[in-house]
Amino acid sequence: MSDFLEVTDVFTHFETPRGQVRAVDGVTFTLERGKTLGIVGESGSGKTILSRTIMGLLPTRGTVRGGTIRYKGEEIQGRAPSEMRDIWGKQMAMIFQDPMSSLNPLMKIGMQIAEPLIHNLDMPKDQALATAKRLLDDVRIPESVKRLNQYPHELSGGMRQRVMIAIALACGPNLLLADEPTTALDVTVQAQILDLLREQRQDRNMSMILVTHDLGVVAGHTDEIAVMYGGKIVEKAPTDGLFKNMLMPYTAALLESIPKMNRPSHTRLTTIPGRPPDLVSPPAGCRFAPRCPAAQERCHSEEPPLFSAGSPGHVYACWYPVGSPVYREAIERRAKETV
Amino acid sequence: MRYALQRLGQFILVFLVVTFLVMVITRIGSKDPARDLAGGLVAQEQVDEVRELYRLDEPFVVQYGNWIKNLVTLDFGYSYAQNQSVNDMMKQRLLPSFFIGIWAIFIGLLLAVPTAIYSAYRRDGAFDKTMSTTSFAFLSMPPIVIAVLLSFFIGVKLRWFPVDSNYVALWDNPWQHFRNFILPSFTLGLGLSAVWTRLLRADLINTLQSDFIMLARAKGMSPRRILWVHALRASALSLITSIAIQMGGLIGGAVVAEQFFAMPGIGDRLVFAIQQNDLLVVQAITALLAIVVVAVNLLVDLFYAVIDPRIRHARAIK
Amino acid sequence: MSAITKKRDWPTVLAAAWLIGLTILAFTADYLPFIRGYAESSPEGIGFSKGPFTSFLLGSDQLGRDVFARCIYGAQISLRIALFSIIIGTVVGGTLGMVAGFFGKASDRAISAFTDVMLAFPPIVIAILVTGRFDALRKNSEAFSWLSRTWSITFVLSILAIAPLARIVRAQTLSISQREFVLAARSLGARNGRVLVREILPNLVPAMVSVIFTGVAVLLIAEGGLAFLGYSIELPTPTWGRLIAENRNFIREAWWGTIMPCVMLFATVLSFNVLGDRIARRFDIREAAL
Repeated sequence: MSDFLEVTDVFTHFETPRGQVRAVDGVTFTLERGKTLGIVGESGSGKTILSRTIMGLLPTRGTVRGGTIRYKGEEIQGRAPSEMRDIWGKQMAMIFQDPMSSLNPLMKIGMQIAEPLIHNLDMPKDQALATAKRLLDDVRIPESVKRLNQYPHELSGGMRQRVMIAIALACGPNLLLADEPTTALDVTVQAQILDLLREQRQDRNMSMILVTHDLGVVAGHTDEIAVMYGGKIVEKAPTDGLFKNMLMPYTAALLESIPKMNRPSHTRLTTIPGRPPDLVSPPAGCRFAPRCPAAQERCHSEEPPLFSAGSPGHVYACWYPVGSPVYREAIERRAKETV
Repeated sequence: MRYALQRLGQFILVFLVVTFLVMVITRIGSKDPARDLAGGLVAQEQVDEVRELYRLDEPFVVQYGNWIKNLVTLDFGYSYAQNQSVNDMMKQRLLPSFFIGIWAIFIGLLLAVPTAIYSAYRRDGAFDKTMSTTSFAFLSMPPIVIAVLLSFFIGVKLRWFPVDSNYVALWDNPWQHFRNFILPSFTLGLGLSAVWTRLLRADLINTLQSDFIMLARAKGMSPRRILWVHALRASALSLITSIAIQMGGLIGGAVVAEQFFAMPGIGDRLVFAIQQNDLLVVQAITALLAIVVVAVNLLVDLFYAVIDPRIRHARAIK
Repeated sequence: MSAITKKRDWPTVLAAAWLIGLTILAFTADYLPFIRGYAESSPEGIGFSKGPFTSFLLGSDQLGRDVFARCIYGAQISLRIALFSIIIGTVVGGTLGMVAGFFGKASDRAISAFTDVMLAFPPIVIAILVTGRFDALRKNSEAFSWLSRTWSITFVLSILAIAPLARIVRAQTLSISQREFVLAARSLGARNGRVLVREILPNLVPAMVSVIFTGVAVLLIAEGGLAFLGYSIELPTPTWGRLIAENRNFIREAWWGTIMPCVMLFATVLSFNVLGDRIARRFDIREAAL
């Protein structure tokens, strides 16, 4: 079947006083109907801009875009907002990171959910409100009738995020883009939200792109993971495959940096030294090279293409991936130095 | 509710202080208040009568207390110079001034809101830049200049509207009313719209960068809906605040406009009374105008709760 | 610093040029042969006989006076009064605002109550009222015979400038006080007075300058309105407001008598506004309404 979402060589650059910021610099992937893709990266990796690019929600001024995005076979990259408006809400929906600032503080919850129903689907108001109530039930908000008439500031963070999900699901979209949906929430609530998302996805056979900086979030909730760095995808693999066999040093470093409960207390946290690359003038060669523990001559001068790994669907961009002799040597040498 | 009562209490306090000060100022430089009240050159008995009546022999605070007491029965005293009770005079003249003000605000908003919205939407476009310059220009024009220009070009050259007008009530003859009020109210309204356009545009630009606007876009909402429903509601607060702030200037402008366009309002009457040393009239009108300013501020403050539910709830808790 | 190419800021340049030119003319008027003397009546121009760009630069008025010359003298008076008043208002109001914003609590409450009351009075109404009463005072009392209109108006305008200035300065002081360098100075043990003068005051200057410019614009407008209502300086001193008011009735036959002062007033107010606005934007000062 033709792929549901095809992203090919997409780039998004911004004109700024400092120069052209290459926020997304050549990204390619595909997504099948009903599957979930996780996009992982640090802040500045371009993951949020990528999701906005797919959606088409970018500022019109000073933005340079390119590449192709095919949604259900149709080219949507480069379309003006007025053309995209038909898709927003009905076909593609987005949920944002901070539910407090993303909901209109002056509008009742019920109205905010009903709004897309009324204006996108031409539903009469009372029917829309009734549907809104049902949506609130779907996202497991108690006392849904009461909530319809409340305002965002009267709800807790977790509830607000559920409301955002309800809004996103209102018109029955086929693709949901979730931009750091759990970052602003407590850890306990995070799990609930992710489970809720999974449930809704399955019920509605929806595809999802889950953008986050947290590997833990994508671990149990995605079919495939793409790791982004410096505006490019540096590794992509089916979720299980990725965790079993990380090939890109950056991915490995990310995993390492997650604090683990089973280590003794007062263990030094592992961090990735250095800072994300300057997106105006990125370094020649591999963008991660300046910070990579195993970087070699070649890494600094030549940019690695995406290689296929042994297992299907697994690609990575590295000259000396994890497990290769050069890598292992470099790591051992480094371990000896620091000791 | 409790908050409203609290503010009402403050209002009453300010009312007392302000009216007291007005009385003090009104009496400055008056050699013999009784004589001034009595209308200047009159017989001694009359002056003494007046002195009795208004207790002008007694300490100032007592006089003030007397004034307040009479206020309750809406007795502002009698203007001997005009041979009319102040109360009657005010009743006659209140409406024209009120209408000038109301229509000015109406025109100001009518011009400012759509202009600001479109300017913020198509920021730095041709419309925005033109309007920005125009607003700045009108901001810099004193009411008299605008009045002169308007009356010259529209009243004299084009002869569309009467320059010297008489007052016609809205309910008597809407069309005449409209013709009479258009020039004075437009004069003031232009200045107001200049201030409000700049203010609202800046606030809207700020609001439009908010996350919730982004979400509204992502929901597929049309620009029109986003601008007029989402963004405007959020920026309305600063706009109505400005209405309150501009009241003082508006009243001053109305006084000038009344003189210029010969409208029989209280501003015009006030100027006359000051020249005539008609102290009671002066006191009554000045106090009234000051109270209007305070009252509008109070109303705007209470209105915040109507617009913004967060404020509503925060106040209810206190 | 941004790499965006800087275009010459025409409005600012023009505004500054106008103001500088006007000020020079205004304050050297007495020494300039082509102005001095022309503000008095001359038989040649009586009855608005000459229009602009004839032997009378901007036309002549009813008494044969040169409109241009009168405008320049008008500038002298109007500017002098406006500047004087705004400076006084800034000094007093600014001090109050700083105290309220910096020390907070009781002093803030007191000062804010004071400004609230002051701001309740519609400015023009108070201006004519006080000026009118001062007139009576001057007439009726020996001790106050010096209280000329010039003094009255300057006094009133100064008083009216205090409250809005106090408000603005208070807001600015509040925001400055929160910034790190003030906390830093404090933590190093600097006493209040020192912090106030050394840290806060210098940072208030841009805002104050911007407000002064905008304030002059407002006062010029106010003076215009006052003159129209009859509350201007003693005759025959010209101010712009008076010129506009006096010649307004002749607008049909001799439009230049009114329109010229209008234009001058407008240009000057506009220039002050432009400069005030530019300074505010340059230093990113939050707009507070006067």
